Amino acid sequence: MTDAEKIEKIKRLLGDKILEASNPAVRRVFLTVAVKDLVAVVETLKKELGLWFICTVSGLDKGDAYEIIYHFGDTPGNVNVRTRIPKSDPHLPSLCAIIPGNILYERELQDMFGIVVDGLPDPRPLLMPDDWPAGQYPLRKDWKFDRPQEIIPGGKS
Amino acid sequence: MAAVKTLLYLLVYPGLIFLFVYSTFCEWFDRKIYARLQNRMGPTHTGRFGLLQPVADFFKLMAKEDIVPTRADKTIFTLLPIFGLAVVATAGMLLPVWHFDPAVSSFNSFQGDIIVLLYLLSLPTLVFFLAGWASTNAFSIIGGTRVLTMLFGYEVPLFLSVLSPALLAGSWRLVDIARFYQARPSLLLLNVIGFVVAIVCVQAKLERTPFDIPHAETEIVGGTFTEYSGKKLAFFRLMTDIEMVVSAGLIAAVFLGGFGGGLVLGFLQFVVKTLAVIFLLSLIRAMSSRIRVDQVVSVAWKYLAPLAVLQLLVVILIKGLVL
Amino acid sequence: MKFQIPIGPQHPALKEPISLRMTVEGEVIKGVDIRLGYNHRGMEKLAEEKSWIQNIYLTERICGICSHSHSTCYVQGVEKLMEIEPPRRGLYLRYLVSELERIHSHLLWLGVAGHEAGFDSFFMYTWRDREVVMDLLEMISGNRVHYAINTLGGVRRDIDEAQRQKILDGVAVLRARSEYYFKIGANEPTFVGRLAGVGPLTKQEAIDNCAVGPVARASGIARDVRKDDPHAFYDEAPFDVCTADSCDVLGRTVVRIKELFECYRIIEFILKNLPAGPVAVRAPRRAKPNEVVSRYEAPRGENIHYIVSNGTEKPERLKVRAPTLANYPATVVMLRQGFIADIPLIFAAIDPCICCAERTVELVNARSGEEKTVRFSELRRLADERFKRQTVKRNVEWPL
Repeated sequence: MTDAEKIEKIKRLLGDKILEASNPAVRRVFLTVAVKDLVAVVETLKKELGLWFICTVSGLDKGDAYEIIYHFGDTPGNVNVRTRIPKSDPHLPSLCAIIPGNILYERELQDMFGIVVDGLPDPRPLLMPDDWPAGQYPLRKDWKFDRPQEIIPGGKS
Repeated sequence: MAAVKTLLYLLVYPGLIFLFVYSTFCEWFDRKIYARLQNRMGPTHTGRFGLLQPVADFFKLMAKEDIVPTRADKTIFTLLPIFGLAVVATAGMLLPVWHFDPAVSSFNSFQGDIIVLLYLLSLPTLVFFLAGWASTNAFSIIGGTRVLTMLFGYEVPLFLSVLSPALLAGSWRLVDIARFYQARPSLLLLNVIGFVVAIVCVQAKLERTPFDIPHAETEIVGGTFTEYSGKKLAFFRLMTDIEMVVSAGLIAAVFLGGFGGGLVLGFLQFVVKTLAVIFLLSLIRAMSSRIRVDQVVSVAWKYLAPLAVLQLLVVILIKGLVL
Repeated sequence: MKFQIPIGPQHPALKEPISLRMTVEGEVIKGVDIRLGYNHRGMEKLAEEKSWIQNIYLTERICGICSHSHSTCYVQGVEKLMEIEPPRRGLYLRYLVSELERIHSHLLWLGVAGHEAGFDSFFMYTWRDREVVMDLLEMISGNRVHYAINTLGGVRRDIDEAQRQKILDGVAVLRARSEYYFKIGANEPTFVGRLAGVGPLTKQEAIDNCAVGPVARASGIARDVRKDDPHAFYDEAPFDVCTADSCDVLGRTVVRIKELFECYRIIEFILKNLPAGPVAVRAPRRAKPNEVVSRYEAPRGENIHYIVSNGTEKPERLKVRAPTLANYPATVVMLRQGFIADIPLIFAAIDPCICCAERTVELVNARSGEEKTVRFSELRRLADERFKRQTVKRNVEWPL
């Protein structure tokens, strides 16, 4: 179905759970939902529209909130579901009960942004080393890395 | 005088030095055939045509550092390569190449020496298992268990198929078997099935593709040889080479009519026939992929063992009806 | 007797470091533990510090074999952000290199599969033929591996008539060789015996674990980004999505060989219909604040880049998800109840490009300032769960 039909059907099924829907380019549909409706929306999308394939989950640091986008792959095109969570209380419900393959992406969000994903079947950090100091979340905008001075033994520094 | 002669036999010919030279030559031959079949060059630069490559490999390994794992039993770990080399070299002495006096039983040609040869050739399998076990490394232990699992598959067909021509010839002495077939070369055709079965089983004994499971590089790193390095690994590799020569010699002696014709002609026949067998083994190596250890056992018992029994039946029938 | 064998991080079966800890009983695998991250380089954070053009260089170095796929995916997205449209000839050349890269990657994979199965002759032959492709790529771009042919707005080099003819000849040779490999692969009993029934992944498991690429296509899921999201050129090129139904490593091999033939078709189409004209347009330095999702079918599966711009000459966010990362949960499912002997084959069958899978964020060791490969925590332990396996077809036909 075309993008317009997709948006039409989604709006019909989910009504006011969809805060915003846009179609900025061919085969790209962007939806915005609130965090509390996220699980219900994804379940409906999977059952009614057959969106079982999550390409990935991106996080973005927007200053005072995190924007999480779930990219679903569809035939044709793709559907992206966006949600916002405040930085002061970064909690996100896990979608692994609906789509088990989502686990790696959610664990990555935990590592990179410090978002807490509730209900993960395996909440261990995915990417950071075992001796990574707590509280350091590299993909936040305020996380800067100071490269220490390079020391060349026997040469100029 | 006899003592000096025995010493010469043990050390020079058909003892260690001859086996060393000949087995490195056979390894070169095998590697070259394998490479040319794969559209590559193989050993080329060391010595003329790369003939000295296996020798160079041996000496390089002798010069490398020898590491023994801390938890391994040092005595067994060190003794195994030496023991293995001794076993196959002893087996090498039993091949009927040298001009034997067939009437007299000497220490290297006696009634029943084919059984002794087969026994000595199955000892290296035990050596490999112990080597894997003594290494106390997960990969080596798996390699060792695989070696023994394969033994359950190929040993029985090998014994049956090698002993069938012996039954037909009516003797357990390699020289007598060879002479029997030299006198009646047409009877060699009766043993074709056994020849095929023996080639496949020998490929399994030597742990070459498709049966190189115990030291499958991509699966368990080095298998039984993972922890061995330096001189011990050099001895193990020499042991596998000599094992190849001895097995090829056994097959040639029993299935291809032995090495008669006196000193020079006999030696020439030995070289030609063993190289022919090794050529067949290399061909199989280049043409197939590795099979799993459970598949080895099932293939061996489903196909090889019945064929070997069939060969035995053929021999018994012919012997009973005709001879 | 249960004990653990570590496969990796250093192991002859793995081309890149990853740690798989297998709990085995005899020869049967009871549990798998994947630990990721030995190849972590911190590309995404780094991409925020570099300009749009510099990021092409960066995304190309995410991986060696699929370098062009990452840079193409990135460039596709950025061209949308900048609202520029590359000329037709540039597009055709860009996707010509893509298909050549796909051929090169699949031939490499065939060799690796042969080597993992112990079939070294097959390995030597396929890699010898890979040289044909690499020579063609060197002729087009100057490099055998990182082609560096993409630029914002098109490609950097053009081909002339003689080169075009050479590519057609090379493809004809490769087509003959691929048919030969197809015959060997189908008829060599030891090889097929190693591949059939190994590493099963049913269709439902593939759906649950979001598998991509030939792994998903071998389980009967007909998804190919070139058909689902045809970017600019693939809606004109004639090709079919290749699937297989056997859900095992043999199916994945069949899918890849079939894709080789499709690649030859596409390349011949490109070369016969190459439009004349310029190969690139000029790109602006900045992009308006916007976001774009760019998807591309790499040889290993679906590659997705999510790029956000904020009006400056550096991106606000570049999120890369390489196909191998998407296949890891499926790999855990596939490895269970297999034999040790099958581990390298199963793992190789997802065509792992581990460097692709792990470049999320900067990981430098703050103490010494040097880049260190660091250990990651465990992925998950599923040893106590057993999924029932559906019966999979063992004797597959090899339809062409």
